[in-house]
Amino acid sequence: MVENGDDLARIAESLREPVRIDPALDARVMAEIEALPRQPSRLDSRGHWLFRRRTFRLSPMGVLAMAAGLAALVLVAGRVGANRAEPPGAATGPPVEDQAAAGGPGQTTQFVFVAPDARSVSIVGDFNDWSFSATPLEQQPGDGLWWVTLSLPPGRYRYAFVVDGTRWRKDPNSPAAEDEFGRPNSVVTIGGP
Amino acid sequence: MKDESDAVLVRRVLAGERQAFARLVERYRDPLGRYAVRMLGNAADAEDVLQDTFVRAYRSLTRCRPDDFGRWLFAILVNRCRTHAAQRGRRNGILRANQHVVDAAFVSASDERDALREAIALALERLPAEQREAFLLKHVEELSYQEMHELTGTGIAALRMRVFRAREELRRLLAETIRG
Repeated sequence: MVENGDDLARIAESLREPVRIDPALDARVMAEIEALPRQPSRLDSRGHWLFRRRTFRLSPMGVLAMAAGLAALVLVAGRVGANRAEPPGAATGPPVEDQAAAGGPGQTTQFVFVAPDARSVSIVGDFNDWSFSATPLEQQPGDGLWWVTLSLPPGRYRYAFVVDGTRWRKDPNSPAAEDEFGRPNSVVTIGGP
Repeated sequence: MKDESDAVLVRRVLAGERQAFARLVERYRDPLGRYAVRMLGNAADAEDVLQDTFVRAYRSLTRCRPDDFGRWLFAILVNRCRTHAAQRGRRNGILRANQHVVDAAFVSASDERDALREAIALALERLPAEQREAFLLKHVEELSYQEMHELTGTGIAALRMRVFRAREELRRLLAETIRG
């Protein structure tokens, strides 16, 4: 039954058969959502507050000049007082300083990505469970630069950017690495030699 | 009311009507569930990942283009399936159904159609995850290579190769099973 030219079609046809998921899933999802403290827009606003820039100010150069000046697209600078990437639940979590105290000192790391036409950009990586939603970047108005400042404990992290929630982009100016799926990512080492 | 578009429902949720999100969950539960079950190989893991996907989508809904909700949601699901599969792989080692499991399932199936369905599912699970993902996106979700590239970040040539290898491996595994 899989030895002729139709085998691929039969395999695909079988796998396209509908799957019925237990409808009780809907109630579990909604219960979790109802337990959230805020509406999405307000959660989002709080997320933006968490990731609002504090440590850095970009100079008013043009996009190219800024991109060149930020050639590494990942700058490791200083420590303390920065924000930390957390899973979504962290939007209601303790202040950053408390998290750093609990998890050890982090180093402030700025991630920058140029995407003039993007509606949203987020960063996914080992530090946020590869979540599309945990760590949005902020846009520098008018110049196509997106950025976020994170406080990361020393270590080696794989990461990538996700544009408009669907397009996966590695950081073109950092060393490349693949994940388990061979997906192109980038690597940053914090506190390394 | 059943015909309300995704965009209308998304806007209602964003306006504060949480229950409108339940309509989206109901609408996408089974279509997304198909991919999750095929990718992860069992309903329990698939349901966990689906729940995680919907909740994450709700939390970041303001970053979704309302008229692109389905594609955006699917991208979250694909990513969550990857993360789940990678975590499971690290916990359990490489996921491979061994041959006696395949044989047992084949023998226990009650008729030829069920046997084929079960053999295909088990053969699919034996593929490397990146090949399984590429095959499902191409031949089950019926995405174009360009859409797959946008979704995964993987180059089109590499995606073509993964799909090719997946097809060859599926044929080989199924032929082995059927020859018994």
